[in-house]
Amino acid sequence: MKRRNFLQTTSAVGLPLLLNGMSLSAIARPSFFNNGNGSSDRVLVLIQLNGGNDGLNTLVPLDQYDQLANVRSNILLPQNSLLPLVDNLALHPNMSGIKSVFDNAQATFVQSVGYPNQNRSHFRSTDIWTTGSAADEIITSGWVGRYLDDQFPGFPEAYPNEDCPDPFAISLDNIVSETCQGIGGNFSMAFTDPFSLTSISEGTDTPLPDNHYGTQLAFLRQSIVQSNAYSGVITDAANAGSNQVNYPADNNLANRLKTVVQLISGGLQTSIYVVNIGGFDTHADQVAAGDPTQGIHANLLAELSEAVKLFMDDLKLQGLDERVIAMTFSEFGRRIRSNDSLGTDHGTAAPMMLFGSCVNPGILGDNPEISRDVTVQEGIPMQFDFRSIYGSILMDWFEVPESKVKTLLYNEFQYIPVLRLCQATTSTKDLDSFGESIVSYNFPNPFRDWTTIAFESKGEWVRLSIFDDLGHEIKVLSNRQFPAGEHQIRFDSHGLPPGHYYYRIQTANRQKTKLMVKI
Amino acid sequence: MTLGSGLSPYSGAWGYAQAAHLLRRSTFGATNAQIKQAVADGMAATISKLFSDQPMPDPPVNYYFRNDPNVPIGSTWVDQPYSAQTNFANYRRRSLFAWTFGLLLNEGISIREKMTLFWHNHFVTENINDPKFKYVYISLLRENALSNFKRLVKKITIDPSMLLYLNGNQNSRRAPNENYARELFELFTIGKGELAGPGDYTTFTEDDVVEAARVLTGWVVQGYLGAGGLEPTPLFVQNRHDITQKKLSHRFNNAIINDNGQYEYGDLVDIIFQQEEVSRFICRKFYRWFVYYDINEEVEMNVIEPMAQMLRDNDFEVKPVLEALLQSEHFYDPACMGAMIKNPLDFMVGLLRQSEVKFSEDVTPKYLEWLAFFGYTDDLQMVYFIPPNVAGWKAYYQEPSYYQFWINSTTLSKRLVFTDALTQAAIVIGQNVLKIDVLDFISKLDDALDVNNMIDEITNIFLPMGVTEAQRDALKELLIPGLPDYEWTIEYSNYLGDPSDEELKQSVERKLQSFMKTLFSMAEIHLS
Repeated sequence: MKRRNFLQTTSAVGLPLLLNGMSLSAIARPSFFNNGNGSSDRVLVLIQLNGGNDGLNTLVPLDQYDQLANVRSNILLPQNSLLPLVDNLALHPNMSGIKSVFDNAQATFVQSVGYPNQNRSHFRSTDIWTTGSAADEIITSGWVGRYLDDQFPGFPEAYPNEDCPDPFAISLDNIVSETCQGIGGNFSMAFTDPFSLTSISEGTDTPLPDNHYGTQLAFLRQSIVQSNAYSGVITDAANAGSNQVNYPADNNLANRLKTVVQLISGGLQTSIYVVNIGGFDTHADQVAAGDPTQGIHANLLAELSEAVKLFMDDLKLQGLDERVIAMTFSEFGRRIRSNDSLGTDHGTAAPMMLFGSCVNPGILGDNPEISRDVTVQEGIPMQFDFRSIYGSILMDWFEVPESKVKTLLYNEFQYIPVLRLCQATTSTKDLDSFGESIVSYNFPNPFRDWTTIAFESKGEWVRLSIFDDLGHEIKVLSNRQFPAGEHQIRFDSHGLPPGHYYYRIQTANRQKTKLMVKI
Repeated sequence: MTLGSGLSPYSGAWGYAQAAHLLRRSTFGATNAQIKQAVADGMAATISKLFSDQPMPDPPVNYYFRNDPNVPIGSTWVDQPYSAQTNFANYRRRSLFAWTFGLLLNEGISIREKMTLFWHNHFVTENINDPKFKYVYISLLRENALSNFKRLVKKITIDPSMLLYLNGNQNSRRAPNENYARELFELFTIGKGELAGPGDYTTFTEDDVVEAARVLTGWVVQGYLGAGGLEPTPLFVQNRHDITQKKLSHRFNNAIINDNGQYEYGDLVDIIFQQEEVSRFICRKFYRWFVYYDINEEVEMNVIEPMAQMLRDNDFEVKPVLEALLQSEHFYDPACMGAMIKNPLDFMVGLLRQSEVKFSEDVTPKYLEWLAFFGYTDDLQMVYFIPPNVAGWKAYYQEPSYYQFWINSTTLSKRLVFTDALTQAAIVIGQNVLKIDVLDFISKLDDALDVNNMIDEITNIFLPMGVTEAQRDALKELLIPGLPDYEWTIEYSNYLGDPSDEELKQSVERKLQSFMKTLFSMAEIHLS
């Protein structure tokens, strides 16, 4: 397994030393928030759906409905209960709030987001999504943490300071967010109630020994100093801020988002917020017996949908909607086939949702293809790599150059227009502007040992790879520049068991994932 | 910094610092008297005391609920039926929670409660609403806290709470549910290695999860919330069991498991335990529980490997391995001391025990007091019986922060609220006022008349590495601001000369309270 060492890309970080005053050099350094790059007051809210959300019962591909009825009949949502979004795509009946956000051109759904070589462990896959690593590399910093480290090298030493008085990130939770883990410390401050932060005695400054004890004591002292320094500005912002809609007390996620709006409206210059909603690990009783529109998953989506709707309304009423985007993510989707406990087991890719007045509204990607004879272990194959979504947000929202995005995330980063310049737009629907469909097919299909994949290149770099039904990228057939025109590449499947395979084509701004069957 | 020391027996000095270190890590906090006793007894005798067999504690009792005809106040409910008319689960759950806090608080010199919590963090169940199920589960862990790892894995596999929690009760031949099978490999026994190929995690594969789930089919649970008038029991239902042959991957030498009905899960566990990685995996967890979270190559080679070898040599008996670890050169290496951030239970229970706070004797007020503190563990983010998820508390597995997960702006201020109340404001629960009796506390020190000595004695009880001279001077300012040292001797002697003089008493007491409050708010107080 590879280990990427991000220490090399930033200034040397040793023991975080004691924070007493602020060093002059730190104060003199130009601040991200005041450097006039236009992104100074933009906010990204991450909504983590813990447990692995069942994408197929969230965003339902209507053109696959008959096949779904065949493989997940016990949890299938009745067709007449679904909320139509666009042709061939509908939302879970409990997502009317999100549907209205979509109808207001404030939502983007990205289909089948995942990564090659899907890991089906909650913990490992959550690590992959929070760190932005590949499946086969260990990174201990979060993707947002690395971005912030790049902007504010040396953190946490010398922060907060006059230029950066506010926390960089806030986790509305009991613990800090791994997404915000930097190299020298975690950029997020964790709390649930902005009014309950107490000032703590900072104790006596003494020299620290160079051992584990010294390391941990330094961490504790720094946490105390930082917590004190940040708690004042947070409470002030919470006092100054307000909400313009009513959030029901029994919707926990809505109340977290309420706090986010309150802090933004109160002037806090925090750019990242992380909120969580748990319970998506629906191995059993995902739907209620006898009524698939009820049950655990239905309740979770109702909570999510209501919370998002209120959040967007509140932002809009306060004129903050062009400063804020929100994005959901979950460690994996679930199996295509349901189990007999009215639930679904760990799967592969799933849709991501983005909300805000500055998202490029509509649907990105194709409906997944479901075959009639889906295997027990089969998940939805990826179309988009989640790191490309992250990277596109860094580029468009935080104005990070593409070359840097590649360093922070991955080299094969693909720009995806999930955001747009925030100007008045009224129309929604498919994102025609995003590339064109790739013309491709394979023959024969079904096949025995050999099949040929044909595709049309526009004179561009093409990565063509084969995935199995567990989401593993088992073979990369090509990864190079192709001249314009049709190309054919043979796939030798000798030694592979019969079953479902997918070929995936990725170019700089297009991608396609298609099912093929080995017999 | 390097840590060359390994598992060989420690033969260095045995003094207050070493004894306090051992007791801090192996119990929920030792008093000054207990530490001194350990110094006098020596390391070997203290270890054998820590590991000696203890009778199981008396079960939790009904402490207030008047509507359970079978369980009068003061009697236990753990073997008593539910009622269709009245909800008994709520009072029983409160009783169980309170009782658990009481066990942590009142345990003598024994490692058992630390190990019970270790296993709870290892074999997590949560979200089980039936207190009788929880009692059965935690009693299994407590009874086997120092016994055999392999045997415990077998027992927990069919524990009623576990069968419910990881859907084992829904795992049948027609509808296999992989939830338990996956965690059996990934979290409970062998751990997940690097991704070596599609679905292959080096230590096990996705196919192994599928096959193991089939092995485990057939088990259901009886007696949930008194269903059918039954007690919590696992039941093997033959026609839910998959009797066809199962085959594990090359990671288990392509082992074949033939139908063995209700004993088949044991065959699976035996096969998993043939892999050496099982012993390393659990020893790393022991290490992170008792020593430190960072396991570098040296620690892996000098500590983990020999522990794992010893565990295998002893057929997975836990006790010899832990005894060796807690008597090792490495454990007493000064570089390993004082660097563990206390978890919330360690923090709260430790300070209550070390500062010798008195709780009520009678059952109702005693349970109410325990329950009040138990409730506060939620504010500090570690509730017994409610770990955040199946992997346990993040502090013990999540890179790179580990123990640091306990600390954030919320928990820091909540820890401070607790220590401020304990030292100054006092905690009022029912009729009882709980606080540190500071005058009683210092009366038991060797020499409280000498202010410097007194501060050193107190700080050595509460802080793992004591204080520096500058810190001692700062603390002294709280007692005798701007005054020469002998003024403390005079003030305290005056009080001792006439303890009935309320004014003298209060002025000494107030100084000491302010001293304790500050001591308990130092960054060092969070370290063990």
